[in-house]
Amino acid sequence: MKIKRFLAALPGKLCLLIVAAVILIFFSNDFGLVDIQKTAIVLAVGIDRDGEDFALTAQIAVPKGSDRTTGGTSSVEIEGRGATVPDCIADIYAKTGWVPKLVFCNLVLLGESAVQADVFSCLDFFLRNEYIPNSCQLAACEGSAGEMLSSQSAIDDTSALALSKLFSDAAKKSGYVMTTTLREFAVGYYGVSGSGYMPYVRAQTKEGGSGGADSSGGGTGSSGDSEESGAQEQKVYSAEETAIFSGGRLAAVLPREQTFAFSLLEGNVYTGSFQADGQTYVVLKNSGSVGLELSDVPMATLSLELRVQLYGTREASPPEEIAKSMLTPEQEARAEEVLTGYLSDLWDSCVQTGCDLFELRTKLYRTSLAEYGKWKDSILSAAVKIETSVKSVS
Amino acid sequence: MNTGESKTITGDLTRDREAIRALLPAEDIFTFDFTDGTGRQFVCFFADALTDKDLLSQQVFAPLQHTKTAAEARSVQEAVRAPEVRTEQDFETLADEVLAGNPVLLWEGAREALILGTKKVPLRTIAEPPTDVAIKGPREGFIEDVKTNSALVRKRLKTGELMMDTMTVGRRSQTAVMVCYLKGTCRDGVVKAVKEKLEAIDIDAVPDSSYLTRFLSDRPYSLVKQVGTTEKPDIFCAKLAEGRVGLLVDGSPIALTLPYMLVEDFQSGEDYFVPAFRATFMRLLRLFALIVAIYLPAFYVSAQLFKLQLLPVKLLLTIAGSIRDIPLSPSLEMLLVLLVLEVLNEASIRMPKYVGMALSVVGALVLGETAVNAGFVSTPAIIIIAFSGIGLYAVPNLIEETSIVRFAMLLAAGSVGTFGIILLTAFILIYLVSTENFGVPLAAPFAPFYGRDMRDALVKYNLHSLKTRPAALKSPNKRRLK
Amino acid sequence: MKLGSRQILFFLAAVAPVGKLILLPPQLAAVAGNDLLYPVLAQIAVQAALIFCVLLLSRRERTVYAMLEGSIGGVGAKIVTWALVLFLLYTSFMPLVEQKLLVQSIFYDTIPSYIVFAPFFLLAAYLCSRPLACTGRIWDILAPLSLFGMAGILLFSVGEADYGAILPVGAAGLPGFSGGVMRTCAWFFDAALLLPFVGRFDYKKGLAWKGAVCYLAGGAVLLFFLATFYGVFSDISVIQVFAFAKMSHFFAGLTVLGRIDYLFIFALAFVMVFYTALPVHGAVQLVADGFPAGKWLPALLSVGANGVLLALLFFFNFDADNILSAVTGNVFWLIPAIGAAFILLLLLFYGRRRHEN
Repeated sequence: MKIKRFLAALPGKLCLLIVAAVILIFFSNDFGLVDIQKTAIVLAVGIDRDGEDFALTAQIAVPKGSDRTTGGTSSVEIEGRGATVPDCIADIYAKTGWVPKLVFCNLVLLGESAVQADVFSCLDFFLRNEYIPNSCQLAACEGSAGEMLSSQSAIDDTSALALSKLFSDAAKKSGYVMTTTLREFAVGYYGVSGSGYMPYVRAQTKEGGSGGADSSGGGTGSSGDSEESGAQEQKVYSAEETAIFSGGRLAAVLPREQTFAFSLLEGNVYTGSFQADGQTYVVLKNSGSVGLELSDVPMATLSLELRVQLYGTREASPPEEIAKSMLTPEQEARAEEVLTGYLSDLWDSCVQTGCDLFELRTKLYRTSLAEYGKWKDSILSAAVKIETSVKSVS
Repeated sequence: MNTGESKTITGDLTRDREAIRALLPAEDIFTFDFTDGTGRQFVCFFADALTDKDLLSQQVFAPLQHTKTAAEARSVQEAVRAPEVRTEQDFETLADEVLAGNPVLLWEGAREALILGTKKVPLRTIAEPPTDVAIKGPREGFIEDVKTNSALVRKRLKTGELMMDTMTVGRRSQTAVMVCYLKGTCRDGVVKAVKEKLEAIDIDAVPDSSYLTRFLSDRPYSLVKQVGTTEKPDIFCAKLAEGRVGLLVDGSPIALTLPYMLVEDFQSGEDYFVPAFRATFMRLLRLFALIVAIYLPAFYVSAQLFKLQLLPVKLLLTIAGSIRDIPLSPSLEMLLVLLVLEVLNEASIRMPKYVGMALSVVGALVLGETAVNAGFVSTPAIIIIAFSGIGLYAVPNLIEETSIVRFAMLLAAGSVGTFGIILLTAFILIYLVSTENFGVPLAAPFAPFYGRDMRDALVKYNLHSLKTRPAALKSPNKRRLK
Repeated sequence: MKLGSRQILFFLAAVAPVGKLILLPPQLAAVAGNDLLYPVLAQIAVQAALIFCVLLLSRRERTVYAMLEGSIGGVGAKIVTWALVLFLLYTSFMPLVEQKLLVQSIFYDTIPSYIVFAPFFLLAAYLCSRPLACTGRIWDILAPLSLFGMAGILLFSVGEADYGAILPVGAAGLPGFSGGVMRTCAWFFDAALLLPFVGRFDYKKGLAWKGAVCYLAGGAVLLFFLATFYGVFSDISVIQVFAFAKMSHFFAGLTVLGRIDYLFIFALAFVMVFYTALPVHGAVQLVADGFPAGKWLPALLSVGANGVLLALLFFFNFDADNILSAVTGNVFWLIPAIGAAFILLLLLFYGRRRHEN
């Protein structure tokens, strides 16, 4: 009877115990948790190499307080040093007392020194860490990544946010920036092609500019505040070049035109433009592809098909032609010639640096294992056929 | 009544009068002595406030005083002009009738007493219930009188199949409970089970129908309600027509319906008077509001403590800025604001209207604004709780349950984070699907899944498509639209 | 309370595939590379056949214990039942380890304390104390939730997937295929999971066929998921644990909408909670069938079984690698061999009994 009574009362007692435990945990409030007040929200990191060591600069968002009369995002850059990336992060923790949370890190900027060695010696940490999104953007930059992140942007208070504008989908459509994510880059690196690319960022001093982003109207309250930031030179960033990688090392930096040609091959471009004979051709429809034919020997085909509109013509044309933006056969041929030149240069850059930018090895592998075994080493020296077709929109 | 020994009328007026007086010693039980045309002595017992004395005088005293009656009850019955007259011998029953407002008439030589239906209970007028206001549709609401309420039901269901069986519950209150159902539409087993449960209730008084709900539930200690409630006769009748049993309780404007399914509280009477797409939209909105009410504070706390990614980065930075100087942890801050909301809510309901209005203004403006300015709580926390508070009232019949669940979710989120929220949700789900009442699963028609019933669950089909009664109720008469 | 045959079909089509989304994809990719679909296809085919057999067993509407008792007597039935219980507890290890890792990864920004997973056992103990029919009703809710989660994640992922990555066929060769089959054995025991349910639902004509087809349909969704997974991550699939929680992250719309993919991720995580507790639930009910000792038995058993599992996980110091390598390593054959043996044994008894009748 006693046992029965005990069993009957057991669920109620258990419930009470559980509720008490939950309340205790609620009020003690610690599972080793790192709540928002102890957290440094890292928006971007810049990585440089210093000999065998790494220097990691984290751009940390700084809340502006409850007074929301001003917009924008303030930030502060903290540098950590160590033999590995985790060491650098631990160094930042030790310096600030904040736990750097990388869940919102949307940009990893690699400095010049970092891209000379295998970039995956530092990127591997980001790739394997469960708490860092693989969707973050990658970019290489001129000079030091830390300095670039710490520079004062003319566009936004926070350099990472100014840079992210360069990598937006809208910017990609111009054809002058080729963006990549950590996942895409890693897939190329670990794949049979062993190659990849990322935008190459340069910073230029804004002529006659001072006073920070205040004058841009976009945001205020920069990290340094007042006079100090006012004294700092304002920078304008550009990412019209593309760094290409082979085996994780920087192979070359593609100039603007080749970046554009690469964009066209990827079919990214809408409203991007190029020039031929002083006339501007605006791309309104773009399809591009890289093919690989395997007959006796492999042959790569780079094909472009564009629909363009012509701007800046100096000769008088009948109104109906202007309305239709018709291209003459000569203009079409000239545009095709220019683009073929770009593509040819792009191909040469890849061949010379050994970068399988067009993933020819991957294509070969997916087509046939036997052919892959036969041609994998010489595929980059295969013959190439370039086909371009430029027509007016109408 | 449980006082005194059971006795019957003796015919000796003095002894009979004393016997009844012994059972009804209260001062508000009056007696009136008079004689008829033959000089026979009569005495009438009645409760002062519950009897229509004018009617009694016109229909009983006046005719009798001018009539020569015999000692037999039939003779007296023929003399009085009251339409509702019954005979009874048992003293206790007679005393009960007097207490219920029905006067009792005794006379010299009587072997039976007459019970006169001249009750006059003070009633409020039929009005729209404040808890269930409809923009379209009937505005009548139940009142505290079971007879009036039964009339409101009978008016809407003019069929001989409508059964209204009266039972009495409560040793002292002797509360009349009317078990209403449509014969042939409602499962007999349910009617029988309801009656058995009512008979088994041994309580001294039943002031309101809510007292009965715990006795009618299969899990009486459950946090979740298992009996449906409504204040509107149109909804009550609709539920009877679906095959449910309805209970009208004397003294309560809230009628009970059984078996109850959780989905009922997402339905509103108005859903049936507006186009189906509108009703569907409103039901989904109610569900959304309820989810927001329960989960928003919990996820907000969980996001701040354990998983920042739940918030977009810009919002996160805004929140981080707002809470920078708050001394409390995010979970305690939210708990505090939630408690304040509950206190304000409780106080504003209980207080007189004019003070309540002032209080809500004080609560909303002064308290909130001052608390934010003083740095006790952050603005986002107040916004979150405001959203949650409003959402709760989208499904007013579930406020008692959801309010507690909201606290529990907050505790789970503050302790274990999002995983705690998921586990608690899973726990609630297990509990809901394993709860049945009168053989009908609480979570039907979702679990178990009744495809046809889904036409009137969260999505409301056009009336033409609702051809059958809810399958979960297992009605013997399945078809309602031919 | 009895289960509906529809609930069994819901489980097979929508709930069972969800249990294979956490560690299986990267484990499989590590062995079979781009040929990851074929080992799973083989496993699904075998399980579909076994499910057909289990559902045939349910035609007699007698529980496994009753069936065994009728064939080999009370003592024999008890021994086999205990063996089946131990088998189910063994199979529960992999989902538990997966669930624990998943919780640490997707519900927290930083590595949380080990103890955060402990409340799961409270829920599991409560669930196990309920009748199995209760689980059937839960499947009614979980099935649409699972479809919602799966559809959302796949919808957000297909745009980023390069399905060409699963080419060329046969790149991993026979070793890749056989290795893939061996490595995935620990995840395919759905037919055995159904054994405790036998006799608890009304057999309707053609249920065995329907069950097998539903499982194949769920398997097709799983294969599509795996193809998308490999299409998104290709050569880095091996390190993509908790893939289902990451695949949808690359959807361009998230930059505008915020992390709404968490809706789908949490929906699937919710389904997984129940899938993880299922083997223990089945084990508890089997014991309760064989050793009826009052209504408290399932509750006590469920607390006991979950307590033991919790202690075991602590004993392993939450070391997922040890458990993973044990269950998918040298003793990989335990789950398929014993699972199939139980089903075939019961089928044998079923035939004999029917013949006697």
